[in-house]
Amino acid sequence: MGENIFTGIAAGLRTILAGAGVPPLASEFIVMLVKLVAVIVFVSLNVIWLVYMERKVCAYIQCRIGPNRVGPKGLLQTVADVVKLLAKEIIIPRRVDKVVYLAAPILVFVPPMMAFAVIPWGEGMAPIDLNIGVFYVLAVASLSTIIFWMGGWSSNNKYSLVGGMRVVAQMVSYELPLVLSLLGVIMLTGTLSITEIVNAQRGTWFIFAQPLAFLIYFIAGVSEVNRTPFDLVEGESEIIAGPYTEYSGMGYAMYMLAEYGSMMVISCMCTIMFLGGWLAPFGWTFLPSWFWFFIKVYAMIFIFMWIRWTYPRIRVDQLMAFGWKVLVPLSLANIFVTGVGMYIYRAIGW
Amino acid sequence: MFGQGLLKGLAITWKELFTRKVTVQYPEEKLPLPERYHGRFELDVDKCIACGLCANACPNKVIQITKEKVGKKQYLTKYVMRIEYCLFCGLCVESCNKDALKFSHVINMNQYYRDKVRLVLVDRPAPEALPEEEPAEPDAERPAAARARSARAEVAAGKAPGKEG
Amino acid sequence: MKTQTYVLNMGPQHPSTHGVFRIILELDGEVVVKATSVPGYLHRGIEKLAEARTYTQVIPYTDRMDYLASMLMNWGYVAAVEKLMGIEVPERAEYIRVIVGELSRIASHLVAVGTYSVDIGGFTGFLYCFRDRERVLDLLEMVSGSRMTFSYFRIGGVADDLPPEFFPPLEKFLKDLPSLCDEYDGLITGNEIFQARTKYVGIITPEMGINYSLTGPVLRGSGIPYDLRKVRPYGVYDRFDFEVPVGKNGDCFDRFVCRIKEIRQSARIIQQAIEGLPEGPIMAKMPKVIKPPAGEAYAEIESSKGVLGCYVVSDGSPKPYRVHFRRPSFINLGYLDELLVGWKIADVIAILGSLDIVLGEVDC
Repeated sequence: MGENIFTGIAAGLRTILAGAGVPPLASEFIVMLVKLVAVIVFVSLNVIWLVYMERKVCAYIQCRIGPNRVGPKGLLQTVADVVKLLAKEIIIPRRVDKVVYLAAPILVFVPPMMAFAVIPWGEGMAPIDLNIGVFYVLAVASLSTIIFWMGGWSSNNKYSLVGGMRVVAQMVSYELPLVLSLLGVIMLTGTLSITEIVNAQRGTWFIFAQPLAFLIYFIAGVSEVNRTPFDLVEGESEIIAGPYTEYSGMGYAMYMLAEYGSMMVISCMCTIMFLGGWLAPFGWTFLPSWFWFFIKVYAMIFIFMWIRWTYPRIRVDQLMAFGWKVLVPLSLANIFVTGVGMYIYRAIGW
Repeated sequence: MFGQGLLKGLAITWKELFTRKVTVQYPEEKLPLPERYHGRFELDVDKCIACGLCANACPNKVIQITKEKVGKKQYLTKYVMRIEYCLFCGLCVESCNKDALKFSHVINMNQYYRDKVRLVLVDRPAPEALPEEEPAEPDAERPAAARARSARAEVAAGKAPGKEG
Repeated sequence: MKTQTYVLNMGPQHPSTHGVFRIILELDGEVVVKATSVPGYLHRGIEKLAEARTYTQVIPYTDRMDYLASMLMNWGYVAAVEKLMGIEVPERAEYIRVIVGELSRIASHLVAVGTYSVDIGGFTGFLYCFRDRERVLDLLEMVSGSRMTFSYFRIGGVADDLPPEFFPPLEKFLKDLPSLCDEYDGLITGNEIFQARTKYVGIITPEMGINYSLTGPVLRGSGIPYDLRKVRPYGVYDRFDFEVPVGKNGDCFDRFVCRIKEIRQSARIIQQAIEGLPEGPIMAKMPKVIKPPAGEAYAEIESSKGVLGCYVVSDGSPKPYRVHFRRPSFINLGYLDELLVGWKIADVIAILGSLDIVLGEVDC
């Protein structure tokens, strides 16, 4: 039940367009547009919900209740915050590089949004089913480094500059183990297509086949989205807010919302690569596939939040040392072990 | 083993996720104030003998007393506290021999304007002659005292604030 | 390659300088080359203000020095005036002073532990500490009527007796305290990331500690068991059985751990004080107007931050001629500039946090 709601809507749209005499190419274009707009709207709403969820999880961990005034149970708190931030003045300090300074918070949403184009939200529910989906997501996600750096550099503030330098160092270093850990999965499946990778997990989820890769991916993912214990970029007790220090109003809010957007990308990728994507566990198919996908994504996000509100922050040199001396060798070793394992398995003819 | 502390921390926060929350929803729910709470001051005018000990005890010269001699006794005409300078240390209350000045449990003393912060506890004209312990007399001054005690205490007529320190 | 250092102005508005403290950092990348600390943004001239007040009227001003442990600040001043006048404080008052003083120390250390956790980046530990500090403040509120600036001590005793409703929640708090400390230890101290951030960071050698006359947990973290309550007991501290926790390496971690251990020891002292609480008056026989004889006196107590000294000079009038406070936070800061050199920005915060300064006290 509900399994085919979204694919059904798309099919219905196609039929209507075909009935209206729209040529197939144009109809396909319109359907694609609708899908992408739907994804963007959906992700934006989700991000707003995630801010609320973060505040609630954090509050409950800290023996508090959290937002509970605006709307039932405080559900509209983030909406109210966003409205307030929209109404606030965007302060442009005198000596900033105006173009870059203003472009950065607008662009910061682009990489996560682009990544969502290939995420399959359920069975057959990828807006675009690329045959190099994994590669595309990784390539697009690594773009955000430069946008944070833009913000940090253009602000003409030393705290922002330090934050910007940290962004580049951290994201470049952790990109590597992130990609290398996924290589294990790609080796097992022999494809870069997201749909095929998910389908390859019908037997076992790759978290069981590649536990080390999962762990590395998760740690590097936490680092990629700049969350505790790797939130050196923001590092509010050291460098105020890093690259966002000079931003106010909606500019600041965009950075914050984008952080949740990237968190969703990382969680989605984690679900797809290791947790079986939309596949139901134990054959519990009474819930639709997109529902399972969400449960898994949200479980991942919850773990992100749980970790954030438990751990302190590590130092920048420790971060580098951990990334290059621990995660990269481990992920290389994982690839090696995977390769050897595959060879042996094939040799004994499994 | 490395990682044990990390897992323990996660276990602690997981446990706290489900324990009872300690915060209270303030305007709807209020915590009881202890007996000795230092809230707004209240003055029992009938007990006050206008001795001025409280004004002397105050480290910040918050209390301004005006009194007139009616017959043989000192008669308190005005008791103004410049609450904006008050430390709420309680030395004035402690110095009061007649138990006239006391702390109440009123905590919301905030005002929108600085000159409204001033707390006027007594503002009344001195009578011609002090009646000898007549029960009728308090009726005349009670409303004045009650009004002064109410939350929106009236601003004392411009009395220049004394030199600070 | 030629690189350039740059100057980063940390504070006075900075989330982790614990108030309006300013450090001018000269940085090479993220590494501190030179640090210049600039205190004084919260200077209110309390020592000068005291000269225009009577001896009793100074007490509320001492609250405003270390506002996290006001009881102990009261105590330091009151002890000096009592020494000057030669007053024998009644035993019950001494015991009450120990109880509220140690509670105040617990509250102060809880803030130190919590804010240190937040300095390192873990926000949750901060709220756990503040949650439990609320209980201490509730207790002290019952006693004194205020939550932070108690003004509870009087020259010759204390302002009021302990109310009967004070004891059951206190007993309960003391019973819970070890498990609460275990929670901080589990969440903060035991965390490997926390240890990586604080161990062997900002090492103060015992020699340097003594040379810079550091006191309190900052000195004890370096392994020197110098606690006035033990080495030169004042009041009734010689009657209690407690330990002076010391660190080993003198790094941020040891200073931090010392505070948690001291919380446990303070709980022990309070327990013993409640059991031994004698009956009797709470105020010594005092003259109506406090007029110490001309002369001077210096008294020291162990505050939560270190040795709080108070020097009072009297010219025989009802107002002190001169009052001077030896504020432990201020003196502990003296070593900061040297200590910071060679560490990273993140360590600057870690080191500053481990010194546990309160700007009200530093700037006085």
